[in-house]
Amino acid sequence: MIGSLYIGGDSLLHRQPAWRKLLVLFAAGIVLFVVQAPEILAGAAVAAAAILATVRPPLRALRRQLTGVAIILAAIFAANAVFADWGTAFAMLFRLSTLVLLALAVTMTTRTSDMLEVVERVLQPLERTGLVNAARVSLAVSLAIRFVPEIFARYREIRDAQAARGLAGNPVALIVPLVVRTLKSAEEIAAAIDARGFEGAHPSGSASGRTGRQGGTAS
Amino acid sequence: MKTQDIVLIALFTAITVVLGLMPPITLGFIPVPITLQTLGVMLAGVVLGAKRGGLAMLLLVLLVAIGLPVLAGGRGGLGVLAGPTAGFVLGWVPGAFVSGLLAERLAAAEKRPARQVVAFFLAAAIGGIGVVYAVGIPWLAFVAGIGFKKAALGSLAFVPGDLAKAVVAALVARGVHRAYPVLPGR
Repeated sequence: MIGSLYIGGDSLLHRQPAWRKLLVLFAAGIVLFVVQAPEILAGAAVAAAAILATVRPPLRALRRQLTGVAIILAAIFAANAVFADWGTAFAMLFRLSTLVLLALAVTMTTRTSDMLEVVERVLQPLERTGLVNAARVSLAVSLAIRFVPEIFARYREIRDAQAARGLAGNPVALIVPLVVRTLKSAEEIAAAIDARGFEGAHPSGSASGRTGRQGGTAS
Repeated sequence: MKTQDIVLIALFTAITVVLGLMPPITLGFIPVPITLQTLGVMLAGVVLGAKRGGLAMLLLVLLVAIGLPVLAGGRGGLGVLAGPTAGFVLGWVPGAFVSGLLAERLAAAEKRPARQVVAFFLAAAIGGIGVVYAVGIPWLAFVAGIGFKKAALGSLAFVPGDLAKAVVAALVARGVHRAYPVLPGR
């Protein structure tokens, strides 16, 4: 498993349902691009930072998530300050900061499983058209999460073996066996899943079955 | 779509996450550190083909959206997708798709080794650089309000590293295709 960015807690934000937070975030994204006044956007940025603070995020997590975007925001600020004017530059800085801070607050207070539930609900109308199948999406998500540590271990094993052969630092000699071994393992994993009677991959699946042609169209 | 396709997609998403875990490489003549994550984007297309490659990247974007730190440097979550460079991540989906499409048409059935490597390189570069930037740059220009030209200029620093990755992707694709081909041909 890989750890999620969720931070446990009991803040007001933690207690909101995932869909409500996402809806507010989406609405905030639209409103922020309509508002032009730097003063109002500055207030919004302060408010967003305050909201994120109520979540009590660890500093390390904040630094990891925000350093990269801070550099980009600084570059954008500089470009706008030079080529436009200070007002535009500050408005854009506060607007983008607000958005990133709010989005981070949502991510840090919402469990991965709750987020996935919203995704599944959004996908429901698409499922009726036969384009997607929620059972398959969930399977794919859990498989990917499950196999990251395994593939990472495999990578380290191959890296050590290639280093012993004098091939350290040759990315092709490292990645070809990594990919080939991983592709080969897919066969076994798929057989194991089918043996357990996973229904999502077949048109007759009861998990998806409403009308006859479900799922079959996507194959 | 068979169970095995779903497994292949999920495993390739995992490979791309693992490539992002590698420490970034700094080369003297390239101004920004290179992470290997976008190598995974190119590889998804040229190894799995258009459809499964694109879906593998869509799955990766989904993992980002639900709050998993799957991007290089342990980043992830909605903050990434709300940020000004979100287009460069979302562009991975059509990028891998186009890489796959080109690989299927140009490289899958090519017998001559040198030509096949060149075809894989073109597929990786056009999808993994051309298409990704074609989404990322206008996105950045619009969201940051800095105009297309400046957004493109700022992204230029990443091109040398990406070209180097397309070369690696082409060589890897050829190696994988010889050992265990899963790329649909036509």
